[in-house]
Amino acid sequence: MNGVHDMGGMHGFGPVVPERNEPVFHAEWERRAFALTLAIGAWGRWNLDMSRFAREQMPPADYLGSGYYEKWLFGLEKLLVEHGFVTREEIERRVADLRAERRAQTQPEPAREAE
Amino acid sequence: MPGLLQAADVWKRVVWNRRAARLDDDVAPRFKPGDRVVARNVHPVGHTRLPRYVRSRQGVVDRDHGVFVFPDTHALGLGKKPQHVYSVRFAARELWGPAAPANDAVYVDLWDDYLDQA
Repeated sequence: MNGVHDMGGMHGFGPVVPERNEPVFHAEWERRAFALTLAIGAWGRWNLDMSRFAREQMPPADYLGSGYYEKWLFGLEKLLVEHGFVTREEIERRVADLRAERRAQTQPEPAREAE
Repeated sequence: MPGLLQAADVWKRVVWNRRAARLDDDVAPRFKPGDRVVARNVHPVGHTRLPRYVRSRQGVVDRDHGVFVFPDTHALGLGKKPQHVYSVRFAARELWGPAAPANDAVYVDLWDDYLDQA
């Protein structure tokens, strides 16, 4: 597909700046996203080219603003939903639960903002 | 249906499997090193590894990598369609016009189905 991922020859993104001593993962969730993708891939329900195609179908504006493993996670979620492992609603519910948990941990007294 | 993924199976089922894009199928190559080729002007709506910037451009086959899975059909569940993949050399000026440096080139790995004789 003539998607935004096919960026060869496009201008305006600035120079490629290599990161010195770049770590394999920049955050713990990236490590998990990578491992989940490989482990679930071992089920054999889809192949590597299907995984790449799934990532390419990220909405273009999201694609340009996302990091490498965000694209992997998008592709994994898309394939998991399409193959009936989970529903989109289950993913959204879990995200909402985790967000609420985090909010409860980091903002114990939100009412103070109103003072 | 496979069950739980065991730690002992990780190498074989996860890592090794991902190297399996190369195939042993005995398929005749359509081109050989030195052949002049042109990348097809096609716009498939599915997955492809034919970059837009080489379509309709002429290049020269530099190397034959061997036989590989064809990503376009494989991504749609339509089979591996084994075929040769070549490193094709495109002069920078063929891709980017007369302002590009005369001696620069881009080597792109392209499948038989992406190419025609120039």
